[in-house]
Amino acid sequence: MFSFDPYSPAVDADPFPFYKTLRDEHPCFWSPEAEMWVLSRYTDIVTALNDWQTYSSASGNLMTELPNRAGSTLGTSDPPRHDRLRALVQHAFLRRNLEALAEPMRAIAREAVAEIKDAKEFDFIGDFSSKFTVRVLFAALGLPLGDEQTVRDKAVLMVQSDPKTRAKGPEHIDAYNWMREYAAGVIAERRKNPQNDLISHFSMAEIDGDKLDEMEVLLTTTTLIMAGIESLGGFMSMFALNMADFPEARRQLAANPELIADAVEESLRFNTSAQRFRRRLQKDVTLHGQTMKAGDFVCLAYGSGNRDERQFANPDVYDITRKPKGHLGFGGGVHACLGSAIARIAIKIAFEEFFKAIPEFRRVEADLPWMPSSTFRSPLRLVLARP
Amino acid sequence: MSKVTFIEPAGNAVDVDVADGWSLMQAATSNGVDGMEAECSGSCACATCHCYVESHEELLPAPAENELAMLDNVAAERRSNSRLACQIKMSDALDGIVVRLPATQV
Ligand code: HEM
Ligand code: FES
Repeated sequence: MFSFDPYSPAVDADPFPFYKTLRDEHPCFWSPEAEMWVLSRYTDIVTALNDWQTYSSASGNLMTELPNRAGSTLGTSDPPRHDRLRALVQHAFLRRNLEALAEPMRAIAREAVAEIKDAKEFDFIGDFSSKFTVRVLFAALGLPLGDEQTVRDKAVLMVQSDPKTRAKGPEHIDAYNWMREYAAGVIAERRKNPQNDLISHFSMAEIDGDKLDEMEVLLTTTTLIMAGIESLGGFMSMFALNMADFPEARRQLAANPELIADAVEESLRFNTSAQRFRRRLQKDVTLHGQTMKAGDFVCLAYGSGNRDERQFANPDVYDITRKPKGHLGFGGGVHACLGSAIARIAIKIAFEEFFKAIPEFRRVEADLPWMPSSTFRSPLRLVLARP
Repeated sequence: MSKVTFIEPAGNAVDVDVADGWSLMQAATSNGVDGMEAECSGSCACATCHCYVESHEELLPAPAENELAMLDNVAAERRSNSRLACQIKMSDALDGIVVRLPATQV
């Protein structure tokens, strides 16, 4: 009997064989372990993303949801409330409004590279990407420096889940509560002492004259910090992993940094860190002969849609010349990633600087320690060695 | 399913069949049509899915406030028939619609 358990370490390590069986044999699959339906084909996922009225995010979008987020953040609310919340923060994340961050980002990248450039062996995550992402996010959101390392550690912990209980464990909830306290402190500080930064604007914003409620300000800020740091860091480690595993591609990028942008798109398709999100049905839907009931949860397996040969030719081949338009690495529709532009810019700059100093490397561990998470997929540690 | 004809920046006409409810943007990206960037994946946040609607214009719902605001950011010339392709959903009524893609999106 086929099973698909997004809490199992086997799925954390390699979901792709499971996805293939799902797409070919069970395109509308009930997973008793996850207690939800799983959609795995590209077209079914896109159709669901187009229809937020049926596939609602308001009961939470993380596969294993954190307490009280449902209804109160961008990723966990539906239009029209969602659109108004998004309109308040979106401006800061438009590509043209991020240009001013490019030079500070490059300085941050150079500083982080300098710390490892003479090491024979280093952990890409602990020694490079986590330092880079947290500093970039602090610069983008206007957070006060000082607590970066703790903020980063908590952000990574709060997206994990316990493989045994199939729920958030006390350490994950503690990390989330810590982040809320931290966000509350920053919000209070910025209200007293407004700056020209995103959190100041957001914490004072009003929607149609009715002020955002405290919960929305607090949880949206908390989520921005979590989404920003964890997603960006997780994806950077997947990109570095691809660069270690596909040396031909890496050499082309090191020789010609212009190609980094296309390789990032292919990595977002090939093995994106944001593998699976969920929605909740607002009405019965019949698909591939199964009837999913109103109230049921549905997993949208973006990582599987991205490997669907019905959409992408030779989907299991990593090909930096592919230009995979329409990939699901940032989701799609009203809830598509708010941070896609800043993520693209930051990754490009980080790897331009990284390849300049470290063009040749290989990975040291054949089996990686994968993060236990039903939503995200990335290693906890990625040791790289130089020749 | 209904049909869209995209006119690519180089002038080629490309016919695509699209499922109801899919956007013009998705019709183009999922079929490799040239001239569509769609950097924000359809969240009305990038203005790189700009298109000129050349038929059926009177049948389209008027652009919502967020689309109008984002249309201010298009890279190519903004014309009276400028729309964001990610905000236009296909339906039977739009069968046969003709959509021209601009020379530049960024
Ligand atoms: C490469 C890095 C990243 C990846 C792969 C990624 C991926 C995603 C995906 C797949 C979604 C859709 C979730 C859903 O369908 O429910 C999403 C949403 C979101 N992301 Fe990202 N993300 C990244 C970086 C960032 C950054 C840097 C930020 C913030 C600065 C961010 C903030 C958000 C927010 C706020 C949402 C919710 C948007 C909404 O519902 O309107 N992300 N992200
Ligand atoms: S795809 Fe970004 S605005 Fe349409």
